[in-house]
Amino acid sequence: MTPAAVGLAGFAFLLFLISLRIPVGFVMAAVGFVGFGLLVSWPAALNLLAKDFFSVFNTYNLTVIPLFILMGQLAHNSGMSGRLFQTAHKFIGHLPGGLALATIGACAGFSAICGSTSATAATMSLVALPQMKRHNYDPALATGVVAAGGSLGILIPPSTIFIIYGVMTEQSVGKLFMAGVLPGLLLTLAFLVTVVVWIRLSPSLWERSPKASFKERVASLAGVGETFVLFVLVMGGLFLGLFTPTEAAAIGAAGTLGIELVLGNLTWRAFLRSLEETTRITCMIFVIVAGATVFGHFLAVTTIPAQMGSFAAGLSLPPFVVIGIILVIYIILGCLMDALAMIMLTIPIFYPVVISLGYDPVWFGVIMVLVTGIGVITPPVGINVYIVSGIARDVPMPVIFRGASRMLIALIVTTLLVILFPGIATYLPGLMK
Amino acid sequence: MTDQMQNRAARVSGWFNRLACFALVVMMVLSLADVILRRLGAPIPGTYELVGFIGSLVVSFSLADTSVKGGHIAVELIYEKLALKGRIILDVIGNLTGSALFLLLAWQMFGLGGDLKASGEVSATLQMPIHPFVYGSAAGCLLLALVLIAALAGAILKGVKS
Repeated sequence: MTPAAVGLAGFAFLLFLISLRIPVGFVMAAVGFVGFGLLVSWPAALNLLAKDFFSVFNTYNLTVIPLFILMGQLAHNSGMSGRLFQTAHKFIGHLPGGLALATIGACAGFSAICGSTSATAATMSLVALPQMKRHNYDPALATGVVAAGGSLGILIPPSTIFIIYGVMTEQSVGKLFMAGVLPGLLLTLAFLVTVVVWIRLSPSLWERSPKASFKERVASLAGVGETFVLFVLVMGGLFLGLFTPTEAAAIGAAGTLGIELVLGNLTWRAFLRSLEETTRITCMIFVIVAGATVFGHFLAVTTIPAQMGSFAAGLSLPPFVVIGIILVIYIILGCLMDALAMIMLTIPIFYPVVISLGYDPVWFGVIMVLVTGIGVITPPVGINVYIVSGIARDVPMPVIFRGASRMLIALIVTTLLVILFPGIATYLPGLMK
Repeated sequence: MTDQMQNRAARVSGWFNRLACFALVVMMVLSLADVILRRLGAPIPGTYELVGFIGSLVVSFSLADTSVKGGHIAVELIYEKLALKGRIILDVIGNLTGSALFLLLAWQMFGLGGDLKASGEVSATLQMPIHPFVYGSAAGCLLLALVLIAALAGAILKGVKS
């Protein structure tokens, strides 16, 4: 068997084992180890396994992940998401579909503190779904909005996907974060427009909630203050080059802790819960990254990435057609597997292709995050839909998928706009020092 | 018997996770202190190295507890549609693969730690020995392997009973 054939067999075996409910990170490490052993040697494979795992666990640039997750968990456990929703509710809750619009606004706000799509979907489900249920919002609308709104979590900085992409491709995480800001705002707008159109087409999906007084609105603004201060502190420092992403994350986590302690929103129990949830999510991510690193080393010896790169460069297709094909592959893969695993597996293959076609690596990072956002709400494996379904136990999963699929339009339109106008992603990072 | 094994493994995993939580707080405080002190002209030397090393403890000490709490991402699509017997078979295959992988990892990491200790390898700035952190990661992997072996035994027993 040629190395490339072993690589393809490895891929097929990987997908088979993943379907058996073996954790994705374990499977990537195991298949990568066996493949490397077959192609190189068993002692080399054993050595690779230990070195890859320890070097991933010990990477300074990845320590930004637990610190940003901690920031998000502290914000969640101290009720920040609820206060954001309340502010949005007071301002736009009375409009047609206002609670759904407020949910999207709150998702965007929370995304400025939280770097995970599933954490954003989970926290906003807890906060917004009971309110929408109380006002008789259609379950597909309510759950679809939170499941899709979660994708803002990884587009608006901070973002775990940008961090991992940056570390894998040696791009500046600070620049990637900045690249996500405008597409994040554009996606927020696209979600809002989608909800407005949806409500216009089916006016029976919602019930009006009372209009808040001017005084109530002003009072609710305190709920956005803390998010605003933290976002400006963390992203401002990064933008101006005052500190590294890890330092920014440490400042963000400590800042959230300090502010919530002073405001009296964080109990000791909530603090401990934040720590425990952070270590668990961190560990889950790191095991996938370590497994994918082992698998990536196996892929490198199969020569598949290099062959794919030269194959695509040798095709006489216009670059945008190649990007189109890659996107279609991502959307199909995103339906079938976990988004993080998908990115880790495919970047070694597609990244050289994209770069050889002359595309901007930071721009491609934004596209990656957008297709990840699509992947987390498309059936059958849509992690955000699973999460929302775990919280809204009275809503059947197909209903949530139906709701989320309407919101998909916004994600697709935003992705197309970022492809047609790359400046949406590359303008802000271009201004950085 | 297997229940007892699983409970004990879960308890030890919980202790390790608390250490991981503590390491996380240390990491945050250290990074923050370094940024502030750097502004004052007195940065903490070797923060970069230390944060990386502490990060390795955060991850490896939470490996087992994450598994106990079902935190490692897996695709449930087929599993959910299976009857009890099918689920038990998949549990056996999954736990067998996982425990074999992490036993190998623990073994290799203890070996790597031993090599680094013997060669006297130290970090670049602080000249601090690296091997204790490699041993820490090896211990985390070993504990996860034990958790998965306990789960494997549980699955087999369930299969025999049914």
